[in-house]
Amino acid sequence: MADYVFQKEKIEELLGGMAKNYEVHAPLLNAGIVRFGKVEEGGPALAKLDDYSNSSVPPKELLFPQTETLFRYRLGTGGIEPKVPDAGAKVAVFGIRPCDAQAFAIVDKLFGWDYPDPYFQNRRKSTVLIGLACSSPCSTCFCTSLGGGPTNDEYLDVAMYDLGNEIYLKTVTEKGDELCKSISDLLEEASPSHLEACQNQSKEAASKIRRSIDTNGIPEKLPALYDNPFWEQFSDRCLGCGICTYLCPTCHCFDIQDEVEVFDGRRARMWDTCMFEEYTRHASGHNPRPTRKERTRNRVSHKYSYFPTNFGVIACVGCGRCIKYCPVNIDIIDILEKSIAVEVKEAG
Amino acid sequence: MVDQGELRQKAKEVISREDVRRLIGWKRGTYGFEAAPAVIKDPSEADELVFDPTCVQNPASFVTLEEKPPLPRGVEPDLRKVGVFAKGCDSRALIQQMVEQAYERDHIVVIGIPCRGVIDHRKAEKLFGDVTPDLVEISGDKVVIEIGGEKREVAREDVLMAKCLRCRYPNPLISDVLVGGEVEKFADDDFSDVDEFEKKSPAEKWEFWEKEFSKCIRCYSCRNVCPMCYCPECVVTRLKPQWTRRSVDLSENTSYHIERSWHLAGRCIECMECERVCPMDIPIMTLNRKLTRDVKELFSYEPGTDVEASPLLTSYNPQDPEEYIM
Repeated sequence: MADYVFQKEKIEELLGGMAKNYEVHAPLLNAGIVRFGKVEEGGPALAKLDDYSNSSVPPKELLFPQTETLFRYRLGTGGIEPKVPDAGAKVAVFGIRPCDAQAFAIVDKLFGWDYPDPYFQNRRKSTVLIGLACSSPCSTCFCTSLGGGPTNDEYLDVAMYDLGNEIYLKTVTEKGDELCKSISDLLEEASPSHLEACQNQSKEAASKIRRSIDTNGIPEKLPALYDNPFWEQFSDRCLGCGICTYLCPTCHCFDIQDEVEVFDGRRARMWDTCMFEEYTRHASGHNPRPTRKERTRNRVSHKYSYFPTNFGVIACVGCGRCIKYCPVNIDIIDILEKSIAVEVKEAG
Repeated sequence: MVDQGELRQKAKEVISREDVRRLIGWKRGTYGFEAAPAVIKDPSEADELVFDPTCVQNPASFVTLEEKPPLPRGVEPDLRKVGVFAKGCDSRALIQQMVEQAYERDHIVVIGIPCRGVIDHRKAEKLFGDVTPDLVEISGDKVVIEIGGEKREVAREDVLMAKCLRCRYPNPLISDVLVGGEVEKFADDDFSDVDEFEKKSPAEKWEFWEKEFSKCIRCYSCRNVCPMCYCPECVVTRLKPQWTRRSVDLSENTSYHIERSWHLAGRCIECMECERVCPMDIPIMTLNRKLTRDVKELFSYEPGTDVEASPLLTSYNPQDPEEYIM
């Protein structure tokens, strides 16, 4: 694998070079917020690399869009027209954070489980992840507690480090190598001093992570709290909105709806959330999760107990978005810490 | 600065009452510039309660948010009162809820708390970064913020929410118990923000809203936090029949936001919670402010100021303007 550098001021040139062979997605400034999107002429401006620690919406929306047409249909002769994305397309995601890339590896398990989901999987296959190491993590970040870290390159194809005037690039996979070769005329060779600067940055960034949680024992403990009043201290102030789940890079629930016009229509799927009342409402009107207590319990237990039981990995990467954006300070670290401290009486 | 000892003592007295089953106030958050709403059920929890300019949330929202799941056969519902802390703006929400008969006056015990303004976390983070202050207080016309042992004084407009800079009701309009002394009105509302926005041409306004609405992820945090959005089933998320599609695009998002703001005409008490909670930074109050001014100018109506009032849309006055009727 190879390493390179390029001048930071030449980012747009670099993305232009990439765009010759790839559809390029990057963090964009969209009416005040940073969100990943396709880089297009006349579209929203590129966010500066130090404009964001974590984008407001995680880049999961690139592989799993909030609203996605599965197929279209027409009355009469038209039949159905599937909208499965092309696995052979070449898409580059520039500036993704290590935690958000790690989330893809977690969601892979779900979308490749009993029914391999071609919509997610084809996009995943066609996407090259050019990650950007964090140099100033948020006060709500806790990635180091979940096997990640601000400079973790394990789930990336190319890792980038912002060294001030220069960006250091290191290829991690063959996919990443191929991409760098396609723009090699825009890259310069790196020197050992660059590597040293990156290593220093890694150490410094990890030391800036202020929050942590010891996840030992949590997957086993949460089911024991199923009927415990424990959850009320959090659900009493829960608004029941979709912020924590929609902005979670590993939340992956969706609803499927038919949208019918007069002569044609589409079947589409859109993000859904276990925090909404209608998520578990049965056709009969009965709701097995009747209040926000059960819904709060489900969100936390799914991430920290059910998912690890089914797939062997906690469905959280510590990006901190659910903490940062929660309007009522429901803090998942706080919940987990308190869950460990609760004493549960043995049955009988 | 409100005396925290007095606040906790009065909270303790209220939650100790036999006819009160829960009390809604604020406690310290786990990080950042905002406190957390607190729902306490036992006098021992009253020592967690606080009040300072980080107590932004509107406790009135939690009165109507409380769910009433079906009870097992033979179990009687607990109909005792709810205690609720209220700043001036929060008290307007309580009043408006009662005007609409969401509940009766004797359902709540109001602990009024005169307020000189609360922090806008977006402004504060811009100034101070992603940090947690040790202390936030208002002193004269300045806001004092202590971070890492270092005290800094800033102007009110630099860190307080826009609603506070035009606040005419810093003292609760209703209360059963009052914490601290009343404070002086801070400013008048001249609606200059609405004037400013109205200078835009229709095309510019549409361009503006197109950009803003296309960001919306329809998490419904603006609706859920709103003390006036308490319908058991919202028309927007209704499935049978479905009036608004679940797909998230400019058309459905626009429909959602216009629907919501119209449903708030003559009802919005301007606590700004919708705008505060929006994770996509959509300036939702810009819509509500225009309706607030229209309602005030056309019908001389100000919601949430009089418990005895009728809701705007159920009251008729022969003098009401009717230029729009052909």
